[in-house]
Amino acid sequence: MTKKTAFWIFLLGTISSAALFLAATWDTHRQVATLSHVDKLSDQVVAGKRAFEKYNCNDCHTILGFGGYYAPDLTKVVQRIGADGVRYAVKSPEQAFADSWRKMPQLNVSDAEIEDMVAFFTWVGEINNNDWPPQDSKKRLSRGEQAMVATVGVSPGAAVFQTKGCMNCHSLHGTGGTFGPALDTIGRSLSAEQIERYVKDPKSVNPKAMMPPQKELSDRERAEVAKFLSTLK
Amino acid sequence: MEYRSQKIAYWYFIAALPLFVLQVLLGLYLGGSYAFTMPQGIVDVFSFATARSMHTNLLVLWMLLGFMGGAYYIVPEETKSEIYSPGLAYFQLVALLVTGVVALIGFFFGWTQGRPLLEIPRPLDLVVVVGALIFLFNIGMTMLKANRWTAIQGTLLGGLVFLALLYLFGIPFYKNEVIDWYYWWWVIHLWVEGAWELVTGAILAFILMKLTGVDRQVVEKWLYIEIGLFMFTGIAGTGHHYYWIGAPHYWLWIGGIFSALEPLPILLMVIDTMMHVKERKTKIENPLVWTYAIGCAIFHLIGAGVWGFAHTLPQINYYTHGSQVTVSHGHMAFFGAYALLNLTTFYFAMPRIKGIKVFDDRRGKIGFWTMNSAMLIMGLTFGVAGVLQAYIERVLGMGYMTAQSYMRLWMLITVVAGVFFLGGLLTTVTDLLTLRPAKQEA
Repeated sequence: MTKKTAFWIFLLGTISSAALFLAATWDTHRQVATLSHVDKLSDQVVAGKRAFEKYNCNDCHTILGFGGYYAPDLTKVVQRIGADGVRYAVKSPEQAFADSWRKMPQLNVSDAEIEDMVAFFTWVGEINNNDWPPQDSKKRLSRGEQAMVATVGVSPGAAVFQTKGCMNCHSLHGTGGTFGPALDTIGRSLSAEQIERYVKDPKSVNPKAMMPPQKELSDRERAEVAKFLSTLK
Repeated sequence: MEYRSQKIAYWYFIAALPLFVLQVLLGLYLGGSYAFTMPQGIVDVFSFATARSMHTNLLVLWMLLGFMGGAYYIVPEETKSEIYSPGLAYFQLVALLVTGVVALIGFFFGWTQGRPLLEIPRPLDLVVVVGALIFLFNIGMTMLKANRWTAIQGTLLGGLVFLALLYLFGIPFYKNEVIDWYYWWWVIHLWVEGAWELVTGAILAFILMKLTGVDRQVVEKWLYIEIGLFMFTGIAGTGHHYYWIGAPHYWLWIGGIFSALEPLPILLMVIDTMMHVKERKTKIENPLVWTYAIGCAIFHLIGAGVWGFAHTLPQINYYTHGSQVTVSHGHMAFFGAYALLNLTTFYFAMPRIKGIKVFDDRRGKIGFWTMNSAMLIMGLTFGVAGVLQAYIERVLGMGYMTAQSYMRLWMLITVVAGVFFLGGLLTTVTDLLTLRPAKQEA
């Protein structure tokens, strides 16, 4: 091979790849409007994005999987911990993470900015992004649930507890989150029916409850997890 | 050193080294934040986010200074002429350093653009752009005046212009988060898997040619094929970052196929380095420089090629995306490809600038092997933590902090390895700053 041939390989390789890339970029711009619901991209969402950047949240948290890996991904944070959960964590991190061995800084974010951020996260959570992240995916987790019941032999309720993200906030035997109370002995104080009602709409039982209503659980899943928790005495 | 203005490079290298040390110190703080509980009082004042923005921006700053120094060293020899304006080169060095220091202090007080790796606030971005323009003007004018073009300097200039152009895509505020990340990767990915590879290819080709005495025609032929493959796989390979951001589904195909090919040019680089070394026409005067050049090629292949390939396919990336697996790859790739390349350049050029023909490399060897082993261990421990995270958090769905509690021990081991790395780095920096001739053997 001569140097001239090598040069042509370089030129062709670069041009063909760049052409494909630019064409796909043009088409992506066309499609992103639908995929990201641009019609819902309100001024408040944009303000929320600015606040998100102002406090450098993205260097601890990932969003759409990019950023710092020091704290949970925020793509589906509203679905996971609810708008109230977001407000509480941002407003009073020293309380929200008092028992956690990893802290979040108190950044003195204003109430208006917190509302903007909630709007921003709500919008991001609805982006059609090929069902990522897996831990927040309804489809994938029910598969994980089935697998756990079949292979590990736990009760369906325990599988729901472990795979539906309850442990993001609650712990059992010291494993799990510290955002909500530990549930090791929850069966002593609450019956299965009470737990079921609480999980469906916490505020109907306790108006001050921080926990978001678990709308993603099916009736069967809710009943199973309540049955499981009521046995913990 | 054949030309007086090559001395400019020396000051760029001197400026880069302490920034590298500072980068590693901040890295230890970041690792410590995973392994230990940082109390609320400390987190409120100096958060992980602030330290991370410093850690990553220091990386970019010292490496760019290294590349620029490398360019100021290579271009005179390639064009057989002096640099157009040494005054401008020194001015540009000071301007960039001041910008960097102002940015770092600004981060501490919350002055940030708030986008990972691109935290430098927009007003300072403009200073960076002016600095880059001065640099390109200086290098470009030197080449134009000399009018003696080679493939090596063409690739170098092309890479540097491409690098500067891409930076512009990181400056605007994008309203749509999807579009924001889309163009964020034009800076980050097309830098490290595009423009920086061009610069690396050119610098490594130059050093290999000088070291081994292999014919320019042969070296430059390999260079064209390598950069051709780098561009072919790298440009469309950007797609492997577009799987989960809300971009169309076809990116899974484009990203998967092109990025699966990305290790090829790096493999080629290892093969041609080995071949040139084998067919050398000169005798090895400073073995450490050869060790660095070969080490760079091999670690580049492991860190960027193998580790990158390991999680680039969408089926795997679905679970590893945004986990410590990425951190493992990031550290190994940046160290293997770009930190080692810069250190190769430093060890090649600094003795020549100082007029030392054969230098005493005993400390340098210790530094090289300590840093390389420590980084390999860090890559593995970050990797184990990442696999644990992907499995516990993403496959089992057990929650973020549950996964983190299993990863904690591995992060602690990483910190210990990081301390060894710092030791190796300090040895290397001391060695580079106080290079002395080897004692003549009796």
